[in-house]
Amino acid sequence: MSTTATTPVPSGTFARHSYFWRRLHSLTGIVPLGAFLVEHFASNGAVLSRTPVESYGNTVKFLNSLPYVLVLEILLIWAPLAFHGIYGLWIAREATPNNRRYGWLGNWGYLFQRITGAIVLVFIVWHVWTARFAGVSLPDHPFLSYSKMAAQMLNPWILAWFLVGITLVSYHFSYGLYLFAAKWGITVSPGARRNWGWICLIIGLGFTYAGIASALAFRGIHIYPMR
Amino acid sequence: MPNSSPHLLIVGGGLAGLSAALHAAERGARISLFSVVPVKRSHSVCAQGGINAAKNLKGEGDSPWIHFDDTIYGGDFLANQPLVKRMCEAAPGIIDLLDRMGVPFNRTPEGLLDFRRFGGTMHHRTAFAGATTGQQLLYALDEQVRRHEASGQVEKFEHWEFLSAVLDDNGVCRGICAMDLRSMEVRTFAADAVIIATGGIGAIFGKSTNSIACTGSAQSALYQQGADYANGEFIQVHPTAIPGEDKLRLMSESARGEGGRVWVPKDGKPWYFLEEWYPKYGNLVPRDVATRAIHKVVYELGLGLDGQPAVYLDLTHIPAHELDIKLGGILEIYEKFVGDDPRKVPMKVFPAMHYTMGGLWVDNEHQATNIPGLFACGECEYQYHGANRLGANSLVSCIFGGAIAGPTAVEYTRASTAAGSPRPFEQEKLRQEEINARLFASEGSENPFVIWKELGRTMTEHCTVIRVNDNLRRADAKLQELLERYRKLGLRDKTRWANPAFFFTRQLYNMLQLARVICLGALARDESRGAHYKPAFAERDDANWLKTTLASFAPDADEPRLRYQPVDISLLPPRPRKY
Amino acid sequence: MPANTVRLRIKRQAGPQAPPVWEEFEIPYRPHMNVIVALRDIAENPVTRDGRPTSTIAYEANCLEEVCGACAMVINGRARQACTALVDRLEQPISLEPLHRFPMIRDLQVDRSKLFNDLRRVKAWVPIDGTYALGSGPRQSPQDQEQAYPLSRCISCGNCLEVCPQYNTRTDYVGAAVINQVRLFNLHPTGKMHRAARLDALTGPGGIQECGYAENCVKACPKDIPLTDSIAAVNRQMVGHLWGKALGR
Repeated sequence: MSTTATTPVPSGTFARHSYFWRRLHSLTGIVPLGAFLVEHFASNGAVLSRTPVESYGNTVKFLNSLPYVLVLEILLIWAPLAFHGIYGLWIAREATPNNRRYGWLGNWGYLFQRITGAIVLVFIVWHVWTARFAGVSLPDHPFLSYSKMAAQMLNPWILAWFLVGITLVSYHFSYGLYLFAAKWGITVSPGARRNWGWICLIIGLGFTYAGIASALAFRGIHIYPMR
Repeated sequence: MPNSSPHLLIVGGGLAGLSAALHAAERGARISLFSVVPVKRSHSVCAQGGINAAKNLKGEGDSPWIHFDDTIYGGDFLANQPLVKRMCEAAPGIIDLLDRMGVPFNRTPEGLLDFRRFGGTMHHRTAFAGATTGQQLLYALDEQVRRHEASGQVEKFEHWEFLSAVLDDNGVCRGICAMDLRSMEVRTFAADAVIIATGGIGAIFGKSTNSIACTGSAQSALYQQGADYANGEFIQVHPTAIPGEDKLRLMSESARGEGGRVWVPKDGKPWYFLEEWYPKYGNLVPRDVATRAIHKVVYELGLGLDGQPAVYLDLTHIPAHELDIKLGGILEIYEKFVGDDPRKVPMKVFPAMHYTMGGLWVDNEHQATNIPGLFACGECEYQYHGANRLGANSLVSCIFGGAIAGPTAVEYTRASTAAGSPRPFEQEKLRQEEINARLFASEGSENPFVIWKELGRTMTEHCTVIRVNDNLRRADAKLQELLERYRKLGLRDKTRWANPAFFFTRQLYNMLQLARVICLGALARDESRGAHYKPAFAERDDANWLKTTLASFAPDADEPRLRYQPVDISLLPPRPRKY
Repeated sequence: MPANTVRLRIKRQAGPQAPPVWEEFEIPYRPHMNVIVALRDIAENPVTRDGRPTSTIAYEANCLEEVCGACAMVINGRARQACTALVDRLEQPISLEPLHRFPMIRDLQVDRSKLFNDLRRVKAWVPIDGTYALGSGPRQSPQDQEQAYPLSRCISCGNCLEVCPQYNTRTDYVGAAVINQVRLFNLHPTGKMHRAARLDALTGPGGIQECGYAENCVKACPKDIPLTDSIAAVNRQMVGHLWGKALGR
């Protein structure tokens, strides 16, 4: 007796390998992007120093002193970011949200992940452009980084935009961690998901706090004690 | 598959139809499977308690012979014995097969199949998957048939309704005529043989434990085309169901199999009347016996709960965890539809029409009807259960019947001659289209739903637990009146796309015709046997009535003609039935 | 509102191409009514609240005890089975709509055949050699049975698909019900032997990757099937399966 099912095979490499691309999308959100986020927030913590111009400058200088920095930047940041962002928009385009009908928590999480993804993408592109490419070149003048950022932050609208960006990126990352665990089969039981959910919440709050603390520090507002 | 492989049409996608499809596919047949609902939604899903097989895994010395004896005795000796014996012998193998297909049967700590007790036997003989055994069995067969569908051997026609058989000039079945329940297209389909597996007839009784699709319309259409209908008067009324506005929801016999007790308050104390009246079997007397007992307690002794037609079915003394594992499915039904938790309060139940032992006549060997090329299996035929079916025997008879019908239909095609002219197909299609056209043109005042309600009330009142000849005569007069009124009905909704009122109205005519078979069969049979009980003839009368009722349709008189056939009692001499 | 009548608003559509219209009905109240009883009462006398005769309402229903899966519809904004929707527990007027995510047939009746086709696609069955006598099935512990049985109670109603924001024609997603069946058959001692084929089928277009983990499915399931656990469990199998494949195991 034959058991071979005739499965319709749609054409297009992208569709046929969508499992691979989806999981790559999920993975890039954690490594390298999530990992970079940790590094970035930690580095920005230099601004919490009593001598922020120097600390911040040193950090930027150190990062730019890494060998193959351009290659690292392209491979670990720009390429994954572009992929995660653009493919993420593609994924979001497939969604048919129904939150008004079904106002369950997970359903809002689903919607917010797509909305925050889109906003965060705009924020990051803007941030990279203004901080990395426009104006004075930081790799060439690392000790001007503090003043370059502080100048941006002086504008209350830009500061607010930063606060929004930081909060949303923290949210998107930590909820992404929660989703990652389910999509990679790490949290199979409801209990595991609940516990992991709490941990992700704490991670998200931590990121938000750290990011905001750094941003506000440029305005001389300290919600975290200076070193 | 080569084109020369036999082509079967199977009508009905419940357990019997799927079993037939599976067994026929294995023998190389191409199969077109017709069903009014997607097969996974067939009424077999409603079977709850389990499936019988004398596997003797409880050290009780059970055997297929004892299963056979219980079945024949439970059916009050009306069943033809050799085929029942074959079924009981095949039952353990059927359980093995289902087990291999992945049915999640409950297990013992040793990893073996668990068995529970059911009515009409002293043995633990019923394998079960929670309290949704029928669902699990149906799914297993559905999955296997889907496999054959994937390989191209089976083609499904879901949302198609059988209208009639296509018979050639020699009266040989050459195919069927069916209607698409969406486009309403009427089409004929040619085949080398046809298997009917269209299940129960509950809708004839208005409210029953059956699903909506169980109208008996297909059986009735075939009866009107010349198929014999056997033992129509034997209707099983299940003792325990939850009364409801839309249907009477079954509360499985397994509730009693697991220790549930039936009682009513008497003199301020619970009175376990089944245990008192039947000390040996207690709450597990066969269904006809339990139903009559409840009837007596409620109507003769006036002890129904709060004066209502209801008694308690009590599980509260059983640990809740055990109940959840073994009976979860039915407890959920009670909770969802009644709102009370049966783990904490006794359930209120009452008998309800449940099953027809009667059905299309088939021979004692091949599941073949009297129309050549037409086979039948499952509840729609009459073998196996005699005058009363034992609980958990229906699932096994469905699968066994299908396992015979499928292969014998394939055998039949090898011996049969090729179909002749296309004329019978054209004629049948024309005939059915004319019926449709007449219905669309109907402008009378009668409402089909009102006729159906009156049909249900008449049948439930007079053709269920207690049968009285005068009442049966009145009931038949009423049925004739309803048929007369049917001719004056007006179909209001004339839409020619997925029109539910139209489909229902077509089925209704067939229900009315089949109702007369039940009613007149009951009227004629002046004795009490199994589910057929006449107070005026309270004893079984083997001298005059140990015989099968055969109803055939007389087109000129537009009514059934009854004749009788001896019962094959070659294996077990009849003995008095006392529980 | 008067307690002796029941008001319903029903979204009607005469056919796949016809425009949707809302009709309102008012029928006498009866104790223990469910939505099916209400629909039947309307069928008996299909007249709208303002006295206009109308056509019979088309809907699917069969067992009426929530085990066949037929009568799924959107009742007061929620996808659920009409048979277990008791009028006493519903706010009036009760609104009835067809499931939105499936092709329209008529009124409350939609075409859910994709679900059954997808079951075929993922080979949701135990591959037996034949129906002939081959002895008993594999032994299983009661614990394994207690894990498998709840997964096996899926009635293919489609509510989990209806509420899923990822289930649409753009994704061609198979949805939670089908993934749950893959988990079920991958658990079975014999079914397991075809685990790889099932997992491969789920990596194709519309496969498990389309799950956005909104977790709506598990909330909408009338049979309390742990659908999100099943998706996560199959995801876990998938990781092992694909790594094994990638490393040439």
